[in-house]
Amino acid sequence: MNPRRVVITGMGTVNPLGHDVESTWRALMECRSGVSRTQLFDARTFPSTFSAQVRDYDLKNDVHNPSRHSHAGRHCRFAVGSAVQAWNQSQLAKWDGLDSSRVGIYLGSGEGSLDFDNFISLLVDAWDQNKLDTVRWAKLAYERLTLHREVEQEANMVVAHLASEFGVRGPAVNILTACAASTQAIGEAAWQVRCGDVDVMITGGAHSMIHPMGITGFNRLTALSTRNNQLESASRPFDLTRDGFVLGEGASIIIIEEYAQAKARGAKMLAEIVGFGSSADAFRITDQDPDGSGAAASMRSALADARMSPADIDYISAHGTGTKQNDQVETRAVKAVFGDLAYKVPISSVKSMLGHLIAAAGATELITCVLAIRDQLLPPTINLHTADPDCDLDYVPNAPRKANVRVCMSNSFGFGGQNNTLIIKEVL
Amino acid sequence: MPERRVVITGLGLVTAAGAGIEPFRQALGEGRSCVKRISLFNPDGFTSTVGGELDDFSARSFVPKDYRKAVKVMARDIEIAVAAADLAFRDARLPTRGTDPDNVKLPSARLGCNIGAGLICSDLNELGQAVNSALSDGHFDMIAWGQAGMQNLTPLWLLKYLPNMLACHVTIIHGAQGPSNTIICGDASGHLSIAEAWRQIARGDADAVIAGGAESKLNPMGLLRQSKLNRLCASRNDKPASACRPFDAAHDGTVIGEGGGLLVLEGLDHALGRGARIYAEIVGFGAACDPLGADVTRPTVGGLDLAVKKAIAQAGIAPDRLGLLVAHGTGVKAEDDLESRAWQTALGESLRRVPAVAITGAIGSLFAGAGAIELATAAMALHEQTIAPTVNFERPSPDCPLNLSSEIRSQSLDYAVSGAFSIGGQSAACVLKRYEP
Repeated sequence: MNPRRVVITGMGTVNPLGHDVESTWRALMECRSGVSRTQLFDARTFPSTFSAQVRDYDLKNDVHNPSRHSHAGRHCRFAVGSAVQAWNQSQLAKWDGLDSSRVGIYLGSGEGSLDFDNFISLLVDAWDQNKLDTVRWAKLAYERLTLHREVEQEANMVVAHLASEFGVRGPAVNILTACAASTQAIGEAAWQVRCGDVDVMITGGAHSMIHPMGITGFNRLTALSTRNNQLESASRPFDLTRDGFVLGEGASIIIIEEYAQAKARGAKMLAEIVGFGSSADAFRITDQDPDGSGAAASMRSALADARMSPADIDYISAHGTGTKQNDQVETRAVKAVFGDLAYKVPISSVKSMLGHLIAAAGATELITCVLAIRDQLLPPTINLHTADPDCDLDYVPNAPRKANVRVCMSNSFGFGGQNNTLIIKEVL
Repeated sequence: MPERRVVITGLGLVTAAGAGIEPFRQALGEGRSCVKRISLFNPDGFTSTVGGELDDFSARSFVPKDYRKAVKVMARDIEIAVAAADLAFRDARLPTRGTDPDNVKLPSARLGCNIGAGLICSDLNELGQAVNSALSDGHFDMIAWGQAGMQNLTPLWLLKYLPNMLACHVTIIHGAQGPSNTIICGDASGHLSIAEAWRQIARGDADAVIAGGAESKLNPMGLLRQSKLNRLCASRNDKPASACRPFDAAHDGTVIGEGGGLLVLEGLDHALGRGARIYAEIVGFGAACDPLGADVTRPTVGGLDLAVKKAIAQAGIAPDRLGLLVAHGTGVKAEDDLESRAWQTALGESLRRVPAVAITGAIGSLFAGAGAIELATAAMALHEQTIAPTVNFERPSPDCPLNLSSEIRSQSLDYAVSGAFSIGGQSAACVLKRYEP
């Protein structure tokens, strides 16, 4: 089997630093932080009082007819906006050869937010001594909960909204492998194009866990930074003083298509997806495999898929969450795969600026890789001031850097042990 | 089409009929429904009070002793997947770290895991306990919650409900370090997971993959959401066993079941190398979606006709070669009608001739857990050359021209097709083939 080639022809994003690709890239080059005090709810007594929120996004700026998405949840609106940006850039709508049954959607999109106030009030008002009175709960729930708020929480609804926006009739898939989801989605979407099931895929991810139960969950796991007085410098991947990640939200969507088709219709090809690797730690639900073998297996598998060696990689976009464990394990895994070259290949974490977009993180980071190739510039890891002896690679600290960039590797590791790696290269 | 052939060698089912293939086969064979009044909580107050519930179910007996503590942090959906995985590997006689650690031959990096999951509902009693510790003036108080209330949740609370934890626990127990995915696409999840596993093996990324799905919506949120969608049968709460009636003239809504299925898929070379029993070969897959699916007030089957057409085309057969059609058959009248129409479009004249079966009458709607059980039903039929009856199918609905029967049918079958669709409008279909060397 000689797989078909896959190229990226459109990109869009809505995230804490920008509502489109270019403004996001500028912010990253200016080393700006997207972190601020949490305003989506009153988090002032939470262990973490800050997050990386999308500010003032209005779907009307991207979407001609937003009424079609009037029931869409927060992350779904980010996804629709991002997808429209990407779709417009691809110019597919202007191409008369488009067959909607050969266009698919493959997202790594999270669940929608709870209808928090109503959901919680039911737990209070139907509480009887020590347990829930389900009969009373049912009576009140029929009154208070609404169809659309409930159904839009299902993670496949974002896919449904994108299908509606673009009239897609081909395969439509949503996956949710925690923080690895959108990297994995793009990798599997690329395979569907490679093996000929579809010609175009709308792929990427969307997520918002910045709600009381999301922050509660991560705070209970002690996964979040609690640097409440230094919030803009709280996300400090690979720094000795890092104390957890900063929860972000957003969406990033890309359009990928078969190379010959893109070429024939004169599309601008932004990068080629040449390698995908996926593995599982199979270690513990709470911890990564400390020797990094799962992460290393994912990188090796992507290199083999791309028929490349470590020497071919010019830049690694790290998973780099800023938790003690991730950054140490990731560093170890890069060393295992790259050997002595590990000290030469620049690696950085844009999560230092964007926060951790969870399911949407990987797709957002892949977009920064495409831009790194376009502009021959590497985005930095900000807030990196104190060296950690366990993290001794070149993390592009605190300032962007000019570099020769033709091939990039992007890593995402999910809570629970799913590891995924993509490799992209410039289109010659 | 992928060059490496992929076969199904193990079936692990957890349904209201019980754990394993046998109780499920028996229930279908006897035409018996396992739907009963819900006992997990008091369902009075909901429009539907019946369900395909798992009796006295726990994953404890399906995990190695040293992993039993972890069952405490498993939501019910996770427990179902963990049990189904153990059953599937044992059925396949494929030793893993979890079933037979001394005899594992397959390298862990060559074993993958793809599991379909749904939106897992938090345990409302557990969460309610914590929430009610953070009140002021009888109302929830965010300040009190942040200060102290949240401390009443176990530190690992979030991990009970992350949907990728089904696959995560299964990979840990069985030492599956190959590709691992969690597909969340409603009722289409099972077919999508299994098809993706097929591709992973075909392209050489794994030699065996455990794939399928599991879900339990038998909780207050699940009942509420499905009844807000007007999908539940509200007219037969006094006759639970007869409530879910796919394609029957008296179909009047679906019944929520819980459970799931995981299938062991292997490269044919690998299966033959270890002398495995082969249920069936997977030879075709198609997926599609309905561009109007986001409007959930309008019934949809997610472009199922296109998914089925693609799957049959990939199998390289004409519809008249099909010996079995496993329908999704939710029992919701509008969905049964649309589904019948989709099969009609895809199969044309052959529809009336191809024997069909639907399993929801026996076990209810299993959402992400449904697809793998439907494909297991197809695989068993191909293996045994016998078609199970459709439970609660008494009088055909005039709008549903599927060739269903309330009797067991024995006949020669070479190919079977199965398709499913989700709320939101995604669909997927697979074609299985009787194994021939």
